[in-house]
This record gives sequence, structure tokens and C-alpha cells, in this order.
Amino acid sequence: MTAMTYGAWLCLLAPLAATILITLCGTRIPRVAAAWVATTSCFVAFGGAIWAFFGVKSQPTGVGWTGYPPPANDFGRSHITTAWTWLQSGHFKVGLQLLVDPLSTVMMLIVAGVGGLIVLYSIGYMEGDDEERRYFAYIAFFVFSMLLLVEGGNLLMLLIGWGLVGLSSYLLIGFWHERPSAVQAAKKAFIMNAFGDATMALAFFILIAHTNSLSFGVLNTHLSSTATNLVALGLLGGAVAKSAQIPLQTWLPDAMEGPTPVSALIHAATMVTAGVYLIARTHVIFEQARTIELIAAGTGALTLLVAGLIALVQTDIKKVIAYSTMSQIGYMFVGVGVGAYSNGMFHLMTHAFFKALLFMTAGLAIHALAGEQDIRNMRGLGKVMPFTKWCFLAGALALVGIPPFSGFFSKDPIIASAAALGTWYGWIFWVCGIAGAFLTGLYTFRLWFLVFPGEPTPFVREHYHDHHGREGALTMLVPVGILTVLATFAGWLQFSPFWTPFTKWLAPAAPTLAAAVPSDTQELVTSVVAVLVGLGGIAVAWAIYSERRLAIPAAPFWRRLLENKFYFDWLYDRIFYGPAVAISNGLLHEFEEPVVLQTGPDIAEATFETGGLVRRLQTGLLRTYVLFLAAGAAAVVLAFLIAR
Amino acid sequence: MLGPGVAWYLAVAAFLFGIGALGVLIRRNTLVVLLSLELMLNAGNLALIALSRHWHNGAGQIFALGVMAVAASEVCVGLGLVVALNRRRLSLDVDTLSELRG
Repeated sequence: MTAMTYGAWLCLLAPLAATILITLCGTRIPRVAAAWVATTSCFVAFGGAIWAFFGVKSQPTGVGWTGYPPPANDFGRSHITTAWTWLQSGHFKVGLQLLVDPLSTVMMLIVAGVGGLIVLYSIGYMEGDDEERRYFAYIAFFVFSMLLLVEGGNLLMLLIGWGLVGLSSYLLIGFWHERPSAVQAAKKAFIMNAFGDATMALAFFILIAHTNSLSFGVLNTHLSSTATNLVALGLLGGAVAKSAQIPLQTWLPDAMEGPTPVSALIHAATMVTAGVYLIARTHVIFEQARTIELIAAGTGALTLLVAGLIALVQTDIKKVIAYSTMSQIGYMFVGVGVGAYSNGMFHLMTHAFFKALLFMTAGLAIHALAGEQDIRNMRGLGKVMPFTKWCFLAGALALVGIPPFSGFFSKDPIIASAAALGTWYGWIFWVCGIAGAFLTGLYTFRLWFLVFPGEPTPFVREHYHDHHGREGALTMLVPVGILTVLATFAGWLQFSPFWTPFTKWLAPAAPTLAAAVPSDTQELVTSVVAVLVGLGGIAVAWAIYSERRLAIPAAPFWRRLLENKFYFDWLYDRIFYGPAVAISNGLLHEFEEPVVLQTGPDIAEATFETGGLVRRLQTGLLRTYVLFLAAGAAAVVLAFLIAR
Repeated sequence: MLGPGVAWYLAVAAFLFGIGALGVLIRRNTLVVLLSLELMLNAGNLALIALSRHWHNGAGQIFALGVMAVAASEVCVGLGLVVALNRRRLSLDVDTLSELRG
């Protein structure tokens, strides 16, 4: 055990301890205590993550091995720590293992850091809710699950974390269980995620069948090309479901039924980006199945366009940001799909900051307007909530990728890496990325111009209420402030191609493919084009929604298409839900009602009637019983006599 | 061998057993029913002893001792029940004790 593994275990177990503590204490501790226990545990976890980070940093980079991950013994910057053998079946063995390496420490820092800030924000946001303790137990449990996912030292641990984040996401989306829509959304999210979990489990079965192991090292094993492709496809299925990419994207917008901090933490900053982490973590197998990896990039490119388009017509403030999240994860998929893992991961990090910020400022607005989420009612909110306004603007500029905000440094290299492939699909990804940048500018600043500038509407004047003279509780404003700083400056960590510490840090864990390293010209041209196009999107939004110089194009077909979210829900309803209900109804009327429901009463009736006949034998008279006894004995004796 | 043959003893035992069985079946008084039961048990004992003697085998006598022990316990329980019934001022007529009728 080295210092870094202590840090990793501390990071993992602190939120679990908080969950158990809050759950066991029940109503014996005040609500505020539950809230602070959860918050503290997340910050302790963040401390553990920092500990692990510096532990890894102090190690030599370990260049002796070529494949990744290294063997189970400590080597270089990758450490696997095994608590005990957790599961053994014949020669198949899985340990309760954690992996501490550059990739997992980055994820630990993001999850615990952003998680801590958002849990802190929840203290203000959830104040006065009837079941605050349950909320904080759930959210601490989510942070634990997510840390297990990113720290898991073998594929089974990863899958356990993967399943548990799905569970905690389900619990938190459906937190307000008295709302039928929230319950529906929770079920939808869980079922669509279960599909991904299943494909991942199938991929693992193939791995076990071929290699009899689930350690990360087996990904290096050379399997047959069919098996490799199937395993990669299974992992991609999991990533697509968890990260809400087409065709499994429809759960994410509905998941906005949960409390806003949940949307910020689970459905923007951490859980939905787990698919990106998964591809970066298992990149070895994806590189052996390059077609599947490019399918991942293609899925991302398609999703970023589709989600960006749908975001243009949404009227719910959280749904606009949710579609924006899908779109940005599409970028990350393009990044890791073309092989630029560090670019994808860097965008994951900056996105965690600015998207959490956007959700939390939206939460401030929703909170101050007593639960209103329709942006058409919010115009002029900036006048009464200047702090929220400026923080939101920082997040919005980071999202669009305007320098010097963080999105600029993380999004443009992804688009440039697509160009670096130099193939026809590389250019398609590039065009999609640039088009996505325009859409991002348009929908983000549509939101901005509709909500913040101008004179407050009567609705805002009527419903706005401050919190002791502030725009929100201090526990809400402080994390928003911190995230504003991060969303603004975190991008400066890396300015490819001149200054790339982040890529170098991840190189031992997920080295960028040589084919995905763009030339300086490609980087430069892409950045200039992307920023100009993003500014173009902002300009169009300004012209339409602020100055009203341009009318919204009346394209009824497109409008209908977008408002119906490209008919995915409709399609799934027809293909899966409709037939399932029809089959169930058929079984109900043809089988259950006539057969199952009738059998029980029939059996009961028969038993009852038989009992009615037999009960006459029970006279209650001693002599009758004796007579039967004697008769029985006589019969036995007679039988013996005859048989002889 | 002296005395009557074993068949006589068995005949007496069967006769006694018949009397006992009839008593259990016909009589209503709990005490008499218990008495008849004892009669049946002792008819059994008589048969055991007779056959033991006939076959020159001691096991039958041991069985008879066992049966006596059982009979003694049974009388204890039975008389205990009679006393309990009496204390509750319930009738000692076995036909009135028919709560188990289905």
C-alpha cells in the first residue's frame, strides 16, 4: 500500500460512509446535519483524490511497458490495489480492486470536486423539502457509485459502479415520487440504461469465455476479430446508453424531472460522461476494433447535430441545457472515437465545470421564481439577478467556445483531431463539429437573450423572491462562484498544440493515436473557423431574439420535426411500447384471466366441497373413533390372514 | 407341561379383550370407559405371558411389564382428565364431549 492507494480508498469510502450514516440515523439527526455530512464526505473524498493525484504524480512515468494497462504489480504510474479476492469460480477470479492511474485520478478529482460543490449547492436548493435526508443519502451514494466506476480496478468493478450509478440516477430522477411524470422519467432512464448494462455484460461474458479473466490487462489479449468487434460493440452499447447518445438518448431530457442539482451532477457533469471515460479506459480493445471506434465517433457526430437542433425549439430552461449536454457529449464521443482520448477527456472536464455551472445558475433562477422553468416567462431576469446573469454568461461563453473561456480550449482540438484523420469520414466529423459549434452559439444565446437581458416581465416581477436580500442561499452562491472561476479559467490548463500538460498527464493511460494528432495548421484553422462560426451563431441569436430583426423561419415541417424530437419517442412507442402492451393485454385476456385467475378459485372450490363430504366423519363422539380404530385393526388382521 | 394349553389362555384373553372393547364402545361414563381400557390392556398382557410361556421366551414377560407401565401412565392421565372435568362441573358423559365434531 502506498500513499496514493490510501488516498483512493479514502476517496471511495468517504461518501459510502456518509450514505450509511445518514440512512442509519434516519430521523434522529436534523436535516441540516444530514446535508453537511454528505457535503463533508464529498470534500473528504476530494481530499483523497488530491492525495492520490500527487501520489501518482510523484511516480516515474513508467515507460518500460508498451501495452496498457500494465500487469497487476505496481509499475510506473499505474497502481492496482486489491483488498481481497471477492469472487472465485474455478480459475476465474475477481478481486475487490482499485486502479490508481492518471486517468482515474483525473476522474476522481472531477467527480469528487464537482460533486462536493453540487452537494453543497443542494443544501440551499433542497432546504425545506420534506425528505431532505433521503436526498442527501442518495446523492452521497451516487458519488460513491461514480467513484467506484472510475476507480474500479477491473472490468467487473467498473460494471458494478456502472450499475450503481444507474440505480442512484433512477432514485434521484424519481426523488419527487409524488409526481407521476418524475416516476415515469425515472423508469425510462433505468430501462434504457439497463439495455446498455446488458450489452456490456454480454461483452464481458465473451471476454470471460475467451480469456477467463476480467482484469483490464485482458483487453490486450489478441482475440479473434469477431470476438474483438463484439466486445467493443457491447462496450459501445453501454457507453451510448449511459451517455445518452443516439439511438438511446431519449431518457436524458426526461431525466430533468429530478431536482436541479441532480441534473447538474448526474445528468451533466459526471454520470452521463461515463461513456467517454469507458471508451478512454478500454481504448485498447477499441483500437483493435477500429470500425467500432469510428462508429462511436459517428454516433457522437450525429448526436451533437440532432441534439443541437432539438435544443433550438425547447422552451424549458433545463431541457435546453439537457440537449446541450447531449450535444457536448457527442463532441467527446467524436474525440475519443477518432483516438484523441486526452482531448475527449479534457472536454469532459471543462464541460463538467461549465455545464454544472449552467445548471446551477438555471437552478438559482428556478428557485427564485418559485419553480418556474418556462423560458418564455423569464425575460429580463438579469435585472433582478445580476450575479446569476454574469455567472450564466461565463458558462454560456465557455459552452460556445469563445476564448478565453474554457470550452474554446477543449472543444476545438476535438474538431481538429477529426480533421487530422484526413479520411472522408474525418472530414464529415469535422463539418458536423463546426456545424455543431454554430448550433451551440445559436441555442445557448437564444436561451440567454430570452431569459436575462431587457426589462423584467410582469411574471418575473410577480414571482421573484430573494433569499434574505441575496439571489439565493449562500450555500448556493458560493459553489456557483467557484464554478464560474473554473469554467472561465480551467481551459488554460491546456492550449494545444503549444501547451499540453493534460495530454502528457494522460499519455501513460490513454495515449492519443498518432493518426488523430492534428498539424498546427489544422489546429489553427479549426479554432478560427469554430470561433467565427460560434460567434455567428451568437449573432443570429441576437438578431432573432434580442433585436427581432430576423424572423424565426417559418418552416412548419422542420418545426414539427424538432418539437417532436425527431420522432424518436414516437418510434419507440410504436416499436417497443405498443407491441409490449398489446402482447401483455393479449396474455391478460387469453391466458391470465381464463387460466391463471380461474385455476385458483377452482382449486379452492374443489377442496371446499371435498371437505364438506369428509367432515361428516368427524362426529366428535369418542365411540365412533374407537369403532373406526377397531374396524381398521380388524381389516389389517383380516388382510394378513387372507394374504397368508 | 402342566395346565391347560396355550389356546385356552388366548381364548380367555380374547374374551377379556372383547368385553373391554365393547365397554369402550357402549358405555358412556368416562370412568367405566377407562376401566374397559384397562381390561383391554390386561387382556393383551395375558396373551403376552401365555405365549411367552408357550415359546419359552422371556421377551413376552418384559413386554407385559412395559404394557403395565404404559397402562399406569395412561390411568394417571385419564383420571387426571376425569378430575379436571369434574372440577369444571362438566358432565362425565363422553357423548357430550363432542366439540371436535366437523
